[in-house]
Formats: sequence, structure tokens, C-alpha cells
Amino acid sequence: MINDRNREIGTFVPAADDDMIVCRCEEITKGEIRRAVHEGMYTITEIRRYLRCGMGLCQGQTCARLVKGIVARELKISPAQLEPASSRAPMRPTEMHILANEEKEGKRDE
Amino acid sequence: MKRYDLIVVGAGPSGLSAAIAAAGKGLKTVVFDENERPGGQLFKQIHKFFGSKEHKAKIRGFVIGQELLEEADQAGVEVVLNATVIGLYQDKEIVVRTGETVHHYKANAIIIATGASENMVTFDGWTLPGVIGAGAAQTMMNLHGVRPGKRVLMLGSGNVGLVVSFQLLQCGCEVAALVDAAPKIGGYGVHAAKVARTGVPFYLSHTIVKAEGTDHVTGVTIAEVDAHFQFIPGTEKHFDVDTICVAVGLSPMSQLLKMAGCQMEDNPKKGGQVPVCDEHGATSVPGIFVAGDVSGIEEASSAMIEGRMAGIRASEYLGYMQQEEEKSSLDQLDHALDGLRQGMFAPANRGRNITETEEGIPISENLLTHGFVAEDEIERFPGVTRSIGVHPVMECTQNIPCNPCQDACARHCIRIGEKITSLPAVNPENTCIGCGLCVASCSGQAIFLVNEQSEEGYATVTLPYEFLPLPEKGEKGVALGRDGQEVCSAQVVEVRTSPTFDKTNLLTMKVPAAFAMKARFYRKKAQ
Repeated sequence: MINDRNREIGTFVPAADDDMIVCRCEEITKGEIRRAVHEGMYTITEIRRYLRCGMGLCQGQTCARLVKGIVARELKISPAQLEPASSRAPMRPTEMHILANEEKEGKRDE
Repeated sequence: MKRYDLIVVGAGPSGLSAAIAAAGKGLKTVVFDENERPGGQLFKQIHKFFGSKEHKAKIRGFVIGQELLEEADQAGVEVVLNATVIGLYQDKEIVVRTGETVHHYKANAIIIATGASENMVTFDGWTLPGVIGAGAAQTMMNLHGVRPGKRVLMLGSGNVGLVVSFQLLQCGCEVAALVDAAPKIGGYGVHAAKVARTGVPFYLSHTIVKAEGTDHVTGVTIAEVDAHFQFIPGTEKHFDVDTICVAVGLSPMSQLLKMAGCQMEDNPKKGGQVPVCDEHGATSVPGIFVAGDVSGIEEASSAMIEGRMAGIRASEYLGYMQQEEEKSSLDQLDHALDGLRQGMFAPANRGRNITETEEGIPISENLLTHGFVAEDEIERFPGVTRSIGVHPVMECTQNIPCNPCQDACARHCIRIGEKITSLPAVNPENTCIGCGLCVASCSGQAIFLVNEQSEEGYATVTLPYEFLPLPEKGEKGVALGRDGQEVCSAQVVEVRTSPTFDKTNLLTMKVPAAFAMKARFYRKKAQ
């Protein structure tokens, strides 16, 4: 089971490319993501909440696949086995004042 | 809240095709697209498409885009641009952002055609300015008229990497190298060959070690990788480049479907997270359909057919079409789609090691590893023959679904036959008149007209030429071989352009007779 926290995944082994930025928007490195797995974050949802990777301006458009690959390798599973992050509105970054500025009846064709 | 019969998300090839099909059946249809221009990737595709007539073969992508827009307009489709769909909710309600406001719309059926986004790879320095996606390079060149860089290294040898490399050459960039970690070229051999013959070296089983530079790319180091994709020490190669282009595949942008509660699957063969759907795009949620790359990465040609399928399914779902009519329409489209999904690059053949053509001819290994067919391999293919007088030489050596050359020749010198993937063969009974229509019709730029003995000791070679400025008649230069290396001196004896050639110019050069089957590209002598 992927989410079985008793599963032995070994200890964190530092690597030469741990300083490499993976999520550009939130500036999260490969090392931080790998370490998070060893700190018990086994799902993409947990990783996102813990590190905020994939929650910046591009909403994971660039790094989601990369993060998935890194987490899967650390857990020694296939990336396809990892549930992707939840999809929520707004699907694209939207400023709060716009989200709150809903079109009113009668003003339909501005 | 405004209501429609059908809302289509995405105005690319599949979304527009879906909207056209549905609006044609009387559905009140709207298409939302977040971009300022419609057409998705079509308007960046300046090359001629493959396929047969029904797939719009030998038409350039952006022209197909214009045709689709006109069709959509005639069918009464409403296309709303700069409109970002930010949510898809229960009962087919969507929220769209336009400008500074959000709007709610509702429809009885939804077609999601949001396409895909480019994948990235990480390497030391990948965040430096100058490392860009191949799609970004296309946007800069073909939409905005901006040259992405002076000297570029391309990572990825799939069709995107190959096609964009050629476009970079066309817009005046130097392509320093084409690199792929895989041991074999992923895209069509003809796309590779037209890049290789200009002199671009291919490095297979190589990938990027690091991008160099402090605040922008100034160079790149690549190295060979072993079977486990680990760098082999001592194999490093350095290139001075200002741009690194990454073309390492696409991922479906399927988040809206997941949000809507459609059953999803992670399918590596389709490029990642895709909705579970039937062969005509119906998802697990009744009334929500998909088409194009969002349901599995393929070509624009297949996306257009999938779009029509989804449009028809939605029409039937809402009662605008009888089941029998739906079935006959879908059967036709199934047939068209099936035609495109044939040959060596068919989805079913992905990952398979193909060593022979359908005709039983051994595949050119050199083409797969260096981008060009070697001299000792080329004459085993049926399109490459020798004869007296001017005749076509078709260096088409892989089974791909494409046949415009057969129709282009009014003299029936070229034979493909019933099977669209068969290699073109020369019909020796008919005489070539040298019109060059076949040369211009070949989307892979793989056809040449050769006269092995145009005059004592000399031969002429006519080749497709899509670079500016056009060489002038009488100009002297050098002929390059398939590998892009100089083989002999050459003189331009004719440059033909014609509206029927659709911007594929025909350059005829005179070379010493011994090089008739070797000279395949022309370069002006450096001043």
C-alpha cells in the first residue's frame, strides 16, 4: 500500500542535485521534496500542503510531473501509482477581486 | 445565467471541429478559449501536414486553422476568446473569466478540448533565461515574428523537436545539435532527414549535463548516457549556444475533467492523466465529452477527427440526431481515424522495436541514429531507382500514413496503392516530365527529381527548398549530402516557385554526374 506509513523506504540520502530548483514559482528544491517524503509526506496532496510546490503562479503546470517523478522514485513506486493533486477552481490563477466580481443580471453583454 | 446546448472548452483543432459538427446539427454552441487567438497550436504549424486528402494532407497547419475558423463562422459557432474557464461544476455549469469579471454559463452538454502542456526536464541551470520549450519557440517565431535565439540546441527528437528544429533553421537560427537521451530518433525519419541534410548533427543516447551562464544561457554541455540513462564520464561535449529548446513530450491538460468528477486514469501511452472514455470521447459523466490531446497525446490531424466525433456524440445525446445517422457518421470518422493510426508510428506500435518495413525491407538504422539514410542503405527502398532522363527519387523509407505524392503526379509515375502507409514506388512504365509537383507535394520533403546525365559528365538534382533568400539562377555553391556534409560543387540552374507549390520552392542544381545520388541540399558558398 502506497499510503502505509510503516512501509520501509530507507533513510534520506543526500544527492549532488538536491539544490536544484524543481518548482520555480515557489522555489522548492529537489532536496526539499525528497526530504519531505522521508518526513512522512507520501502523497502529492501532502507534499503540496507541506512545501507549497505546484501552488504558485503556474499551478504546477511545469513541475507537477517532475514532483510526481521525484516522490515516486523516493517511495520506490511508479509515478502512475501516485494520485495527482486535487483539481479545484479556479483552474487558472485568478485574483480575488476578479473572483468576487461576478457578472450581474442585465449586465450580460458588456 | 446564459444557457447553451453545447459548451466547448478550447478553440484548437479538436474544439473547433467539435463545435462545427455540433452547430451543423443545430446545437446552439459556444467555444471558450483562454488565448487571444483561436486555433490552438494550428497557427504555429507552418509545415505541410501528412495523411491523405480527407486528413487535409499537404496543407500547411495555419491554413487548416483558417479553414476551420471560416467553417465555424458559417456554422454559427460563437467563439469567445480571452475567456478562461476556471471551473466546471455539477449540472454542466462553468465559470469563465473574461477581463476583470467572472461569468456563469450552463449547457446541456460539454466538450472538453483543452489540449496539452509541454513537459520539462531538469538539469543544472534549467531555470536560466534561454531555456525554453519548443512550443514557446514556435510561438515566438510563428506568431510573433521573434527569433528565439542565434544558436540553439534542441533536446528531443520526436516530431515536435524535429519540426521546430527545421523552423528554427528557416527563421535564421543556427541549430548546434539535436540531442535525445533515447537511443533512436522518435519522430518521422523524413522530418529528421530534412534537418540532417542542412548539416545539423544528431546526438542520440545523449542528454544535457548543464546549461552554462550566470544570468542567461551562454553554452551547454551534453554527455552520452548508458542504457540506464546514467552519464558516461568522459563523453562530455560542449556547445556555445544562447538558447536551449526542450521538446520532451506533452501532458494532457485534463484538470477540468477531474474536477467535474470524470473517472480518470494515469495512462503513460496517452501521455499522463486522461479521462476514461470510449472511442468517440464519451467520459464516465453523461453529457461530458472529450476530444484531442486532452484525451491522449496525438497529432492535430487526429484531433480534428476526434473533435467531429465528440460533436456528433453530443448532438445525438441532446436529441439533435437519430441514432442511425449518428452511427453512419461515426463509422466514416472511425475509418478516417483508423487511416491515420496506421504504420510504424501508430499508437499501437509505440515502444515496439520495428526492424523491417511492411514491404519486408530492413529499416535504415542510420536514419534512426543519425537522422539520415546512409548511402549503402538508400537504394534498397522502392522509391529510389536509377533510369535515363529526369525521374523522381523518393527517399521515403518508413511506413507512415501519407499519400499526396501519388495524387500529385498526373503521369502516374508514383505508386503507393490502396494501403496509405505503403512506401511510394516508381512506376517504370510511365515517363516523368519533370513538373516537380510531387516534390512540392511531399510533406516530408523527401522527393527529388534527378537527371543522372543532364549533359556530358553532369547531373541535375531538383530539391524542395523552403529557405529565404532564394538562391539565384547561375549562382555557384556547394552540394551537401544527406549527412549535411559538402560533397561537391554545385551550380543553381533553375529556381521554380508557383502558387501550386505552396511556398515549397524547387531548386535545381547541376552537379558532377557521380554525385547525382549523393547531393541532396544546396548551400551558397560563404562570401
